[in-house]
Amino acid sequence: MTTIQRTRVKPQSVMGKLLTPVFGKGYGRGLMLVGIAVTIFIAAMSILAPFIAPHDPTAIGLGQPNSPPSAMFPMGTDQYGRDMLSRIVWGGRFILLVAVAAVAICLVIGLPIGLVSAYVGGNADRTIALVMDSIYAFPSLVLAIMIISVFGVTIINEALAIAVVYIPSYFRVVRSQVLSIKEMPYVDAAKSAGAGTPSVLLRYIWPNVTASVVVVATVNFADSILTTAGLDFIGLGLPVTLPDWGIDLTYGRQALPIGVWWTIVFSGGMILLAALGFSLISEGYAERVNPKLR
Amino acid sequence: MRVLPGNPVLLRFEKNADPALIAQYTHALGLDKPLYVQYFDYLWGLLHGDLGLSMAGAFEPVGPQIMSRFPATLELTVYAFIVAVVVGVLLGALGARKPGAPDDSVKVFGILIYAFPVFFLGMILQLVFGIWIHALPVSGRLDPGVIPTNLMIYGHPIQTGILTIDSLLSANLPEFIDAVRHLILPATALGLVISGIFVRMTRANMMETMRADFVTAARARGLKERTVVYSYALRNALLPIVTIMGLQFALLLSGAILTETEFSILGLGSYLVDRINFRDYTAVQGTVVFLAILISSVSLIVDILYAYLDPRVRL
Repeated sequence: MTTIQRTRVKPQSVMGKLLTPVFGKGYGRGLMLVGIAVTIFIAAMSILAPFIAPHDPTAIGLGQPNSPPSAMFPMGTDQYGRDMLSRIVWGGRFILLVAVAAVAICLVIGLPIGLVSAYVGGNADRTIALVMDSIYAFPSLVLAIMIISVFGVTIINEALAIAVVYIPSYFRVVRSQVLSIKEMPYVDAAKSAGAGTPSVLLRYIWPNVTASVVVVATVNFADSILTTAGLDFIGLGLPVTLPDWGIDLTYGRQALPIGVWWTIVFSGGMILLAALGFSLISEGYAERVNPKLR
Repeated sequence: MRVLPGNPVLLRFEKNADPALIAQYTHALGLDKPLYVQYFDYLWGLLHGDLGLSMAGAFEPVGPQIMSRFPATLELTVYAFIVAVVVGVLLGALGARKPGAPDDSVKVFGILIYAFPVFFLGMILQLVFGIWIHALPVSGRLDPGVIPTNLMIYGHPIQTGILTIDSLLSANLPEFIDAVRHLILPATALGLVISGIFVRMTRANMMETMRADFVTAARARGLKERTVVYSYALRNALLPIVTIMGLQFALLLSGAILTETEFSILGLGSYLVDRINFRDYTAVQGTVVFLAILISSVSLIVDILYAYLDPRVRL
């Protein structure tokens, strides 16, 4: 008597699908691991800032103003004699907070609109796509400037402005994916098996969109950091009293003509590093899921 | 397209001044009319090329102010664009052609330069070339001692506002050299940051084109590798890049705002930033409308150019 060997293929969870390419071997792994390491380092530094900063980042006159890096102040002091090292350690908190908030808003608004719009199709879809394309084609910084100058300079408005600027990126990516996926035979099969619209969207289409969303979201993180720094730079950013990389970079340049390089190099370097971390993750991940890039 | 962003509520006046004075200004600017009247007045003016009066300073018309600032921005973006395309295409082609270490460096360069805030790169260039080795000027468009001249035709000055062109037209060599020297740092900073995208695009397109049959055929015919790469593959790989140029233009303008502010260039970007700080809403709105029209025109031109370059696309 023979027994039929039954193997049950365990369906892979969405989380599993996201994590396998992260730690599995293959293309883009190096880029991605470096990106993740950089990001974890910066996140840990920002969260633990109160415990690891040697001084109060806002305390004025700790040292001589504009003193170069020394044993006492490893990154020197700024024009008010504040300790740059402590400011760098603290400085990521708000800029990263804005980026996290902006990406969260984008995910909550951009994804559902893209998913439903593409699935439903018709004139509604065309209208939404037209609006989104118009926003997409406009210079992001000018748009963010407009929104903030109308609604006022607050951290929330800054996150909102950046979100509005980047929602079209999510919309476009999700929409183009859904447009092709919804024509696939397996989706028709699901429908004929009696799956309702929400079920088709969430259980059958959505899992195949996630990979592109990860790429867009990580790029968006990097862009949000750069846009926030840009807004700081033109005076529409975070309050100048906060210890923040963007603020330090903006005001540090006033001392540039007298050769004070440490304020801008360290604060700008951190912005660069933070944006780089997310870009590396995005690039590595894209390379893993898209064979064309190899 | 989005020709009219902004909203008439923008026009609210914020000022802590004498009430009578406020009333007088308010009336002069038409702000005492209902909002919808203001809105249609604005639209009507816009159709006639009138962007309204500035709300700060001497209430000058916004249109001429924008036009006086625009040439500097145009000049900066054009040179930055040239830097971006040259650096981007050369590096991208190199990366696609030589796998291994050269390709990896190109890839890292592409990612790194994309993560660079343009004003931070500008500051580093200023620090190194302007302050440490005193090789190049770090701000403005001309040295104070250099007097710009214009070509005179029948007593009328011919002026584009683009200094490198004006100085050549009037054969003013010192002015030309000075203008170029002032442009090197900002154009390099902006161009390098934008080049990251061209590096990526060229590299990805080249790798795909190199696998195409016509490249294999060209090799089989015994053509030199150089000819195959540059005359056959690169030409075809560059085609899709034309399409993204329209979108790059928007990115270039965003970058120009920051670059102009960093290098104290009196262009449209620094105008916008100045006006925001003065709460000069008509000027901000006017600039935004101007930019919107500019971007629409550029993307139209790019679309036409693409149809011209690629016979498969018909308008």
